[in-house]
Parts: sequence; C-alpha cells; structure tokens
Amino acid sequence: MSSNIYKNKKPVIFFLAPAFIFLAVFLYYPFLQNILNSFKEINNLGASAKGWNAPWYTNYIQLCKDPNIWTALLNTLIMIAATIIGQVGIAIVLALMVDNIKKGQKFFRTVYFFPIVIAATALGLLFNIVFLYDKGMLNQLRELLGATKLLDFKDSSHAMLTMIVPVTWQYVGFYFIILITGLNNISEELYEAATIDGASRWQRVRYISLPLLHNVICTCGVLAVTGALKVFDLPWIMFPKGMPSNSTWLTGTYMYYHAFESHNVDYSSAISVLIVVLGVVTAKTVNAVFKEKDY
Amino acid sequence: MKKMLATLLSGAMVLSLAACGNNGSGGAASTPGSSSAGSSSPSTESVEDVKTPTGPVTLNVTTTFAGEDTNAANYQDAIAAWQKETGNKLNDASGSSTETFKARIISDFEMGSEPDVLFYFNGVDSNPFVEAGKVVSIDEIRQTYPDYASNMKDGMLGASPLDGKNYSIPMNGYWEGMFVNKAVCEAANVEIPGPDTTWDEFLETCQKIKDAGYTPIAASFAEIPHYWFEFCIYNYLTPATHNIVPASVADKHGTAWVDGIEDMKLLYEYGFLPENTLSATDGETFQLFIDGKAAFLIDGSWKVGGIEGATDDIDNFTVTYVPGKNDRLTTDIIGGLSSGWYITRKAWDDPEKRQACVDFISYMTSDEMVTQFASVSATALKNGSQVDESQLSSLAVAGLELVKGATGMSAAVQDQVTQEARVPVFNGMPDIVTGKKDITIAVEELLDLVAAGK
Repeated sequence: MSSNIYKNKKPVIFFLAPAFIFLAVFLYYPFLQNILNSFKEINNLGASAKGWNAPWYTNYIQLCKDPNIWTALLNTLIMIAATIIGQVGIAIVLALMVDNIKKGQKFFRTVYFFPIVIAATALGLLFNIVFLYDKGMLNQLRELLGATKLLDFKDSSHAMLTMIVPVTWQYVGFYFIILITGLNNISEELYEAATIDGASRWQRVRYISLPLLHNVICTCGVLAVTGALKVFDLPWIMFPKGMPSNSTWLTGTYMYYHAFESHNVDYSSAISVLIVVLGVVTAKTVNAVFKEKDY
Repeated sequence: MKKMLATLLSGAMVLSLAACGNNGSGGAASTPGSSSAGSSSPSTESVEDVKTPTGPVTLNVTTTFAGEDTNAANYQDAIAAWQKETGNKLNDASGSSTETFKARIISDFEMGSEPDVLFYFNGVDSNPFVEAGKVVSIDEIRQTYPDYASNMKDGMLGASPLDGKNYSIPMNGYWEGMFVNKAVCEAANVEIPGPDTTWDEFLETCQKIKDAGYTPIAASFAEIPHYWFEFCIYNYLTPATHNIVPASVADKHGTAWVDGIEDMKLLYEYGFLPENTLSATDGETFQLFIDGKAAFLIDGSWKVGGIEGATDDIDNFTVTYVPGKNDRLTTDIIGGLSSGWYITRKAWDDPEKRQACVDFISYMTSDEMVTQFASVSATALKNGSQVDESQLSSLAVAGLELVKGATGMSAAVQDQVTQEARVPVFNGMPDIVTGKKDITIAVEELLDLVAAGK
C-alpha cells in the first residue's frame, strides 16, 4: 500500500493543477496578450485595441529610435553594475567583518537588515529629504562645513548617483544576511587548523572564507542582477518621469510611465517585451559568469 | 484517471482563455463605429416604456468622491440620506481619481459592466464611452424628463469634446489663480498683483522679489509646467478663443502656443523660477511657497484646502489673478466644470432603473447639494451657490472674490489633449526652456499626436 503512494503520480498532478491553472491564467496568458498588445494601438488603460498598428511592428521601430529607451538601457546597466559592486561587494565586506567579531553579531545583523523592512516608497521620501536642494540634510551639513552654495543632488550631473545610493543601501542588508549565513556554515575547524599553520587573518579570509563562499556569492550575484532589472519604486518616488530632463529613466520606470502616465499602452507593452528579453539574456549571461562550483 | 485529469486541465484552460477572449470581443463589439451609431440616438422603445418602479430599486454608482477628496464625507452623508428617503439602495463603488480608477471605468464600459450612474470627468477621459454611445445625452433625457437639470446653465454643463453635446451634470467646478505669499511680497517691498496688473508689471515685480533674495515663482517645470503653460498661452488668446487646440503650428492658435511657451522660457532665463525647477518635484516647490521662500504659485481651487492644511497662518496667503497681456484681461481666468453625473445607456434602457437614476441625480444636483459640494469652486447653478462666507478662511473668501470679479472664463485647453499627446511639450519642458529643443518642433510633435488620434 505504502509503495503505491509513491508509484501513483495522479495525486501529484491533482495538487499541481491549481497552481498551474493560476499561472496560466494570470501570468502566461497576460504575457502572451502583452506581446499581441505591443503590435496594436491602445490609447487607454482598460480600453480595447483600436486595431493593429500600421505597420504592425511600429512600436519596435520606435523602440530603436527612442533616445529615452537607450538612456533607460544604459542606466539599467549602470544599476546592475552598482548592485553587484555596491550591494554584493559591500555586503561581502560587512559580512566578513561581522563574522570576525565575537560580540555584537546579532546587533549588526539587525542593523544592516533593517532597511529591507522599510517600504521603498517611505525610503524614497526619506532620501528626498536627505537630498533636498533647499535645506536638505546633506546641504545643511555642507553649510556647516563652510559651503556657501547649495548643491542640487538631483540635477543631471548628480541624479544617477543620487538614485543609486539609496537603492544600493536598501539591499545591502539582504545580501549581508545571506552571506553571513554562508560564513556560519564554514567549519570552525578549518580556521583553527589554518591558525595553527600560521595563517594570518587576511590569509584565512583569502584562502578559506572567500573560496568557500563562492557559491553563495554566485547566488547573490544572480539575485542582484535580476533584482536590478526590476528596480522601480524607489527611483520612481525620487525621480518621477525620468527627471531631470529624461536622464534617470530605467526600463521599469519608462514602461510604467507609458502605461500609466502617457497612456501609450501599446508602446509600454513593447517596452515590457524588451524587459523580458533583456531579463532572459542577462540571466543567461549571469549564470554563465557566476558559475557555481562543486566542492 | 490520467485522461480525466488531462481533460479537466485542458477544459479549465480553454474556459479561462475563452472567458478572457469573450471580454475582448465584447470590447471589440463596442468599439467606435460598431455600436455608437446604433445606440447614441434616443431609443424610442425605451422612451415610451417609462414606468414607475414597483418597489425599491438598487443602483450601481461610481464616483470620484472617495479617499482624499474633500467631498468624500459629504457624498457618504448625501447617499445615506437619499437611500433613507426613497427606500432605494445604492451599491457605491467610488474611488480616488487615479489612473487605476480611470482604467477601471474604461474597462467596465468595455466589458459591459458599467455602473448605472457615474460621476466622472467630462473631458477627453470620457471620449471612449461617449464615442461608444454608452451614456445618455441630456437632450435625450429631457425628452422624457423636461425639467432634468433645469437649475443649471446649459452652457456650463461641460460639453463632450467629441461631439459638443452635454452628457453630464456638473456639481463642483474649478478655477485657477495665482496664490500669493504676502510675507514674501512685504519683505521684498512689492505690491501684490491685482486685477489691473499687467504682465510687464508682473515681470518687474518678480525682478524686485528676486533682487530681495527670494524666489518669485514656485513652480516645477520638470514635473508640473501645466498651469504656466495654460496661462502663458492664454495671454496670446482670449476667453472666447483659448479653448481650441491648434490645427497647425502656423495658425493663430499654434502661434499663440509657441509664443506662450516662449514666455515660459523667458521666465526660466530671467531666473524667476526656483534654481532647481528642472529637477524639483511639485511638492518641493510648493514647500518653498509655504515656507516663505517663494512669492507666487499658480494652482487650482483645490489648492485652497492644501494651503490651509500646510500652514498655521492662512491669513498670510491670498489668491489673485494671473497678470495678463495682449487681448487677455488679467481678470480673465481659467476655470470650468470638469466632472459631472452621467446616466449610462444600460440603466436608461432599464425601465426599472431609469426613474431612480433621474431622481438620484436630480437630488445630487439640487441647489443646496451643489452649494455644499462646491464651496469656493465654480458651479453651473443658475442661482449661483449660496456659501456662508463666515465659515470660510480668508484664502477661501479671496477665491470666491476672484471668481466673482472674473471678466471671462475659459476651460483649460490642455484638458482636450490626451496624456500621450502632451508628452513632447509637458515632459519635454526642461529641454525646451534650456534651449535644447525647439519650441515650434515640440508643439508640432504634440499636434501631430493629436491629429493621429493619440
């Protein structure tokens, strides 16, 4: 009787069916419909298509010609680099440092993880005040240090950095927790043996911690890159409509803008198709670069 | 068992897709041309078929009186009283007037699940369901109910931009004016602009305020150039000619648009805007105004409540006319009634619901109710709204005075331009004022989108 339970696969199908149907109806069908929508003319959210675009691939030609799309792609690539270096890089350093202290580990875990639990919109508003032009926190600090002119942290030359800093800061704690868990899984005996052999603290990190963390770092890398492709809320709160002068578009914010602000629904569908393609290509590339090793 | 499960799964998939497909085709069936011709004209059958409901009627109502709307509580009180009085029931599905809400309305009409009564925008936002003949015109309603909306001025009902017919009855309208921070003007030793102030005098005032170390105008040209766009082009037109979208950039209206935007560029070049106007949000520039760092702010009547809520010293603020030039008098204002009550075709054709719809809207648009909802904003009432000024702040009273003293009023022309078509000018404003984009080309791009039906 008990062996029959494992041989009979029918119950498995029965239990998997609801999730499959749910995904089919609410993910795959909308996705396919979205591809179709990108070839049609739709001028309002919720409205049906007026017909096919003439020619049907109009939106894809516009994608190639639209300078904002190229800005968005470039900014997204910058954001990916910033997340790998800023989020995962800083998280590695913090995790290694916290792993090397004997007291206060729990305190630092909580402190570094805390930004994750704050809503991105709240963080956006918070950083708006930090970077505020007139009497924002940073400009007040600069005044205290003797600066006589206010600095516009949101102008064209500073905007991307101003956007990247909070996004990076928000997720450092997430990767920090993953990495420190990975470090905790490394056997203490390896460190003790290395210490007896005369290894310095740096050598223990270089030759034990980092190699054994490789797979965890790879996972963090994949999560960071795919996460960077989806960044939307915080940049939108801080830099709505690609402000200033269309210089801060990301693929996600530009797609949202056309769907909800300019009501160019078919074009936003084309952008979302581009995002999916970009996501698949990037995920494949990242998987190839961050290849996990067997130990 | 395996076959049965496979059949079950396939069936569920086909049904779900078919259901979605049906919605789509339902929408297609209601696309322009296919149904509007048949349903926009009065249905003689239904007109003859009016009958008094035998029992309580349930109406589905959707409005924008929800969330942060200042009339949300008034609306709830009003519908509770009407239900109690008539014994009828209202299924209220009101929501804040966000883009998601608008999408829901359009989608409901597409799928045939529209409400019976709707309080919604009467500008281009209403085009999809007006074009599809899914709402009933006032003229058609008056064929059966001659006194319908007889307390309103027909010319102010807010005709559809699509065919010029009235479909909705407005309650509370809006006006746009220039809010003033008195303390800044006093500190800069300048007079507050009045009904006779010209545009050139206003520029001189701005220069004095700038010289005194203040920002003359609180505006984010990066996010909300809308109000200045409206008044700057109004300065090259008149109340009679303003609300017309140019046919081309070279015609009279097109030239006015280019010249008006040129004036916006000059304001930027003169340094009358906040230094970070091209990177600041509207909220940031509003705060400059409230904090006494900027003197003037153009906004709508809805901002009266916003300023009242943002300051402890409301008497420090007033509202005045935006200085005019050329043929536009300073006292010619922008204003109108941008939303109204609609009866949907579906409800009108239901003999049980028709009478209840008319009763409910008549109740909501009575003089007393409109006065209560409108407060300081404009109305279409023939008798005008009877507001108790003793209950209002000095700023709100100044708003009432502004409307009373207006010599002409035009609706905002941008309301005739869809969000998509506005992009080249509104979103491109930073590039325009910095000279990176030619004004004529930007206006041409906008008009091309309008001409393409975008």
